[in-house]
Amino acid sequence: MEKCVFESEIGESYTLATLPNGLKVYICEKPQYTSAYAVFGTKYGSIDTRFSKNGGKLISVPEGIAHFLEHKLFESEYGDAFSKYAKTGAMANAFTTFDRTCYLFSCSDNFDENLDILLDFVQSPYFTKETVEKEQGIIAQEIKMYDDSPSFRVLFNMLSSMYINHSVKIDIAGTVESIAQIDSNLLYECYETFYNPSNMFICIAGNVDTRQVLKRIEESIKDRGTVAINRESFNEPEYIKQNYVEQKLPVLTPLFCFGYKQKISSPYRRLKSKVCVELLLEIICGEATPLYRRLMDEGLINDDFDFEYFTGRDYAAVIFSGESSNPKRVAEEIKKEIAHIREHGFDKKLFSAVKCASYGDAVRSFNSTEAIALSFTECAVCDYDLFDKLKLLKTVSYDDVLKRTDVFDDSLSVLSVISPLEDTV
Amino acid sequence: MLENSVPLGNSANGYFIKTDRFKTTYISYNFYLPIEKEKAAGFALLPFILTTCSKEYPDFSKLNFKLNKLYSASLSASAEKVGDYQLLKIGISVIDDKYALDGEELILKSAKLLNSLVFEPLAENGAFYTTDVEREKRKAIEHIRGEIAEKRLYARRRLIEEMFKDDVYGIPKCGTEEQVAKITPESLFSAWQEMISRAALSVNVISSSLPQNVFDDVKSRLSLIDRSNAITVKTSSPTRPLYAAKRVKEYMDITQGKLVMGFSADIDENEKASAAFTVMCDIFGGGPYSRLFTNVREKQSLCYYCSSSVEKRKGYLIVDSGVEAKNAKKAESEILRQLEIMKNGNFTDFEFESSKISIINALNGYGDHQEAIDAWYTVKSSSKNMISPEDYAIQISKVDRQSVINAAKTVKLHTVFNLCPKEVK
Repeated sequence: MEKCVFESEIGESYTLATLPNGLKVYICEKPQYTSAYAVFGTKYGSIDTRFSKNGGKLISVPEGIAHFLEHKLFESEYGDAFSKYAKTGAMANAFTTFDRTCYLFSCSDNFDENLDILLDFVQSPYFTKETVEKEQGIIAQEIKMYDDSPSFRVLFNMLSSMYINHSVKIDIAGTVESIAQIDSNLLYECYETFYNPSNMFICIAGNVDTRQVLKRIEESIKDRGTVAINRESFNEPEYIKQNYVEQKLPVLTPLFCFGYKQKISSPYRRLKSKVCVELLLEIICGEATPLYRRLMDEGLINDDFDFEYFTGRDYAAVIFSGESSNPKRVAEEIKKEIAHIREHGFDKKLFSAVKCASYGDAVRSFNSTEAIALSFTECAVCDYDLFDKLKLLKTVSYDDVLKRTDVFDDSLSVLSVISPLEDTV
Repeated sequence: MLENSVPLGNSANGYFIKTDRFKTTYISYNFYLPIEKEKAAGFALLPFILTTCSKEYPDFSKLNFKLNKLYSASLSASAEKVGDYQLLKIGISVIDDKYALDGEELILKSAKLLNSLVFEPLAENGAFYTTDVEREKRKAIEHIRGEIAEKRLYARRRLIEEMFKDDVYGIPKCGTEEQVAKITPESLFSAWQEMISRAALSVNVISSSLPQNVFDDVKSRLSLIDRSNAITVKTSSPTRPLYAAKRVKEYMDITQGKLVMGFSADIDENEKASAAFTVMCDIFGGGPYSRLFTNVREKQSLCYYCSSSVEKRKGYLIVDSGVEAKNAKKAESEILRQLEIMKNGNFTDFEFESSKISIINALNGYGDHQEAIDAWYTVKSSSKNMISPEDYAIQISKVDRQSVINAAKTVKLHTVFNLCPKEVK
């Protein structure tokens, strides 16, 4: 087992261990805490729908299967993982995103026992015709819940107008029709491909002993042989489907997502690019900016206004979202501000203030064992070091940030709006 | 954890919670005022207007610039209902001085900033400025109107309105749209005067060391105000049981219905009875081991979520679930059947023990979350008993089966609110 220890000047450190089978283990000890948070995850999410294993035939699986598998893995032949956790008192959960599936627990007691449960159930798939059918009913209810959620719809409507081929445009849970095609054989196929230690990671933060935890993990990880995964490239073209999409739902104030698709040349963004784009967004429309002020004074946005750099394997976009009586005006104002910054640059004092604020946020994130463990999952998927962000925020320059205005191309922008029905209630 | 409490004047106290776990210091001012129909909307607006501008920072861009320079010192503002009282919270969280790159005194500056925001609002001749008031009113109205987009929240709010039609508790926590519209710059200023002179106040400081003068600064502000009529928080009026349950149906353009059921419950405020109620509610509809989760969701696949929560101050319990219209009746009778099982004591030892250990686990982890500590002591400071989460965990461990059954026996169906898709009308 290879081990590296990383330290930072804010008084935090962590160990990254790589097992011979490729499993990565991140551990941050917080001895003054009572609780601990642990995640066992795989680099497998909703966008992984076309792939081949060990150079074999390319296969296509139904949309939503990664999320379906997440639900099913909690069950084993001898009862489900939740009832095991019930005996230890841990809070357990799981989630699926576009590019990863994570199983987690947090506890303030019985950590070893909880870790054993986690290691055991994630490594013990058990699917039958009956249990798959029962889950189809539950997940269909979950999908319907998302269908009724305007904030969910406004995002996915935007993504499906922005992306032509990439699966990021498909709801993570799939559709009622797609999940109906899932059977136990397909679930086993996906499991055998993606739940291989070489494609997985364990992330832990809190009151734990690194040496003991690593020993426990080493003893419990089953040898499954190496699997070479080939994920089919999406061949996403450098254009969009349409620049405007609108849906009517029972809301009283329109919701919007305004996004810029970014042309990309590699599967993942470097951390420096992410940090620079995030700073640039704060400079364009953070709460201390002239644009934010203008939009607020004119009654065009409220406290729900938000923005993010949305990126993962083979996709990247900048997204502005919120509620507005006039989403088109908001989009226009954002475009104008970006053009202005591109031409004239931005206020250096504002740049130093937002850098300071981002540094403060990065320090603050070490308050939470959950935040640390989830940041580790990002490190595992994108190959970052947890402390890189703190270092970058000290060195990143005005020009580094200004350069990133290249992520905005007006011809690749999409405005998605959820507007009110005439008779909402 | 509670290091000391400091009297700050009539019905005002400071609480210092010493902990070395965090990278930040958190300070909150908590004002309790009785809910009154004509005043609720104005009171609820105060935390928001006070955290956007002040005499020192008349413009929110400048205020946000300052917060950025303080390494993202973050202001929080909220208005909640706690029993028959409105709780107005204004807080600040800031990273500790040792993490500042330029040696700034971040904590002292942040504490002073918060103090000036609360006590030196931007106002003239007994009125706030119209532009500020109108902006905050618009945001509040959009927030109220926005709730309809989140069906689960909307359905819960509607149930509370129906359950407490003739009770001040039925008033929404931020007032109604009509009440917000009536707020004037003068009426809002009077509300602020009433808040600082009449509200019961607790100031919480959660930090590794008590910032210099933090309580003295509050004390000297309060000494200039006539607080002879300051209130003390009393026991709230209980939820009265109904002879026959009330039923309300509403129709909306949605695919999944929401079934929310409200129950009256006779909850004694003493610790022992309160702990029994916590356990009862958790066995009924808390974690994945609960009666509702295992029976209504897992065994019968009737819904994606079905859980219960309890408001002890007001003495009621809510079960909410997302169900298809055709299953609503079946889900309702299954929920009521599960409640009967609780009353008859036919829950299993596994459920009983799982529930207790899960609650204890959660309570013992509170100390690892700064905002959870703040929330805990804010509510406890207004009750007779300043118990710590760890001591409450001991109370939970002592709960026996019979006291759970006794708690369940006081629960009576009060109101059923059903949000239905339009096509079934």
